[in-house]
Amino acid sequence: MTVQAIRQGVIELSGRCGADDAEALQQQLLAMPGATVEWSNCEHLHSAVVQVLLVGAPRMRGAPKNAFLKTHIAPILGRSAK
Amino acid sequence: MDELLAQFLIESRELVDNAVDDLLALEKAPNDPKRFDDVFRAFHTLKGGAGIVDFAAMQTALHFAEGALAAARTESRPVTALDIGNCLSCLDRVTEWLDDIESAGAIPADADAADIVALFGPAHAAPPAPAAAPGAVVGDDWVAALLSTRAAVASRARTALRYTPAADSFFRREDPLARVAALPGLLAVDLGPRTPWATLDELDPFSCNLTITALLASSRSDAAAALGTESRYCDLQSLADRSRVRDESLARKAEELLEAQLQLLESAEDAHQHGRVASAGLAAANVLRYIGRSSEADAVATAAAVAIAESRLEPLLEAIGAAARGAPPAAADVETSTARLGGARQTIRVTAERIDALVRLTGELIVSNNAIGHAVKVAEQEGSSLAVTLKNQHAALNRLVAELQRAVVGMRVLPLSVAFRRFPRLVREMSAELKKPANLVLDGEDTEADKAIVETLVEPLVHLLRNALDHGVEDTASRAAAGKPDVATIHLRAFREGEHVVVEVTDDGAGIDVAKIKQVARERSLAAADDLAVMTDEQALDLIFLPGFSTAKTVTELSGRGVGMDAVRTAVGRLGGQVDVRSAAGKGTTVRVTLPFSVLVTQVMTVEAGGQLFGIPLDAIVETLRVEKDRIFPVGAAHAIVLRNRTIPLVRLADVLTRRSKHQRDDEGPIVIAQLGGDLGAVQVDRIGERMDVILKPLEGLLSGVPGLAGSTLLGDGSVLLVLDLGELVQ
Repeated sequence: MTVQAIRQGVIELSGRCGADDAEALQQQLLAMPGATVEWSNCEHLHSAVVQVLLVGAPRMRGAPKNAFLKTHIAPILGRSAK
Repeated sequence: MDELLAQFLIESRELVDNAVDDLLALEKAPNDPKRFDDVFRAFHTLKGGAGIVDFAAMQTALHFAEGALAAARTESRPVTALDIGNCLSCLDRVTEWLDDIESAGAIPADADAADIVALFGPAHAAPPAPAAAPGAVVGDDWVAALLSTRAAVASRARTALRYTPAADSFFRREDPLARVAALPGLLAVDLGPRTPWATLDELDPFSCNLTITALLASSRSDAAAALGTESRYCDLQSLADRSRVRDESLARKAEELLEAQLQLLESAEDAHQHGRVASAGLAAANVLRYIGRSSEADAVATAAAVAIAESRLEPLLEAIGAAARGAPPAAADVETSTARLGGARQTIRVTAERIDALVRLTGELIVSNNAIGHAVKVAEQEGSSLAVTLKNQHAALNRLVAELQRAVVGMRVLPLSVAFRRFPRLVREMSAELKKPANLVLDGEDTEADKAIVETLVEPLVHLLRNALDHGVEDTASRAAAGKPDVATIHLRAFREGEHVVVEVTDDGAGIDVAKIKQVARERSLAAADDLAVMTDEQALDLIFLPGFSTAKTVTELSGRGVGMDAVRTAVGRLGGQVDVRSAAGKGTTVRVTLPFSVLVTQVMTVEAGGQLFGIPLDAIVETLRVEKDRIFPVGAAHAIVLRNRTIPLVRLADVLTRRSKHQRDDEGPIVIAQLGGDLGAVQVDRIGERMDVILKPLEGLLSGVPGLAGSTLLGDGSVLLVLDLGELVQ
């Protein structure tokens, strides 16, 4: 499981998050409005997951190690966060 | 200011000028696709330049102007006057920014393109304000939006990508972002929705709704290869236009460097100067390697080795020469602005100060040469054994100095088009403001004149054009009544006449009403009623050059700012020129400005008065004559002569200079008839000397305030010759 609610209000994305994780993330975000997403341990995000993050626009916490996520995706998600 | 910015300034100014010309040409021929392309290209190249120096506001402003033009093209409608006006406003703003950069040495941080963007209508006015809606990319604006929001990397970008994956991408196990992440030379990424986002609870997480835009440092073909089959969902745009400008200036620099090596080699005494040969070869090879032409670099290096080994320059000269000839950008698709820039490649930019320094030095040299001439004469008189040698050497020096002088004068020469180019636009605006449709016809704008003349001519000409349109051309109703075409024609004509350059402004308006001129002159006490009664039309017309004369019934926004034709005459007079006016009732008016070709050398005639030598500019002199004593007769307290049935007031130069009047009828001496303002005047001198070319120096210090002096120059014997401004002196 790469998408899990680690405690109230925080969802963690870790490892390689594939297309299937998109729906799980969507459900988590719907269940916990205003949740923060911790993604320090995330190695890869599938486009489908990024899409959910763009729409759900949660606050992102931490900095992923993957260069592409850190350089290119983090600023976009940071911008759309509510 | 850094060199890139300095170069950007120079090029942008040229491009703005070109764009204005092209826009005005397009306005005259709105359906001409060639003109359209010219305009479009001008804006595009400007925008590209702004991108290179990371000037986002300028880029945005130009982008919207370009967008408006493109819209006209896609809707296949002619470009409207409104479009042209907006584009001109955009260029005005760009010019302001360029001025700011020039004075501050940096790109203005507070530059804002919002009002320019607003000009181009609400349809266009949404993006790309960097912070406002970075993801929202509309239509074809995406490239510009991306470039302006990612200005930091924009200058390195060679390709822009817009990737809109199919909705079923995820089912096809496609991960679009992973594909983008793997692209070579990825510089920037942005994400947006293909169709507006649903809310989170309605979002279908298995359907792809992303639009991915990216900037790449790799080429378009490399990017296409990396995208593979997904490239069918991609819009890849080469930003070569932008980098082309950069490549081109690089190629130009490289070419210059190569030429410099060639010159270095050619100036080498013989092929035994191994050090020089080796360094030229190394420099040329490095230049070629730097611009990525390594095979030629290798050829040059080999040739250098051969040249040193065989002590022959030829192999290296040939190799560098071949590389230099092949130096222009080799890209096959260079069809755009290179033609225009190509013409300029044969020229070197030199700042005006350097040329002026050369002019000054040449002036000193001429003075020094005159002094040597004087010394030769002295040597001859004293019978010195060196006299013959000196004389021969001086003759050679004289010839060289004359040649140098011609060359320097030639360097300062500019075509009048430099001054004329802003006039079509000016007339367009004035004609709109005055609601008098008018067409400006330029003629002879290739005529050349000294830089100082061309530059100083602008303001008087602006005034003359304003006058022509404001006072000369009738309103539409009167024109119709007179059977003239609705659209007035104003001719701006320039041509060379001997040592003079003539510029004429002709309108086809109502002409000047001589009776009214006289009436106004009487009302404003500019001339005595008696004088007015006997004045010829020609003399009456000249009254308009008097200070305080203006016949405009209403003070308009355009004319009537307290500057009249007298200002024009003063400005032109300062350059050693003359203005006169001809007019035919009902047919129009012509104002003719005659200027010297060069301000470097002034021809003067020396005269002696009161025991001192003075110079009088030859321009002002009409003729010299000697008259019998009894033909000088008193007029009141003054004197006059009659020449060909004209009464000409006479003054004695010695009296004028000493501010005393002891003129006696039996005073003898030659008389100089000179053009003083609009009238002829006679000046009696003690003796007339020789004609000479002098470099007139403006007076400095205490003398600068003395009226009646045009300047000074040094004579061969080292004495100072004061050159008189007769017009000012006699007043």
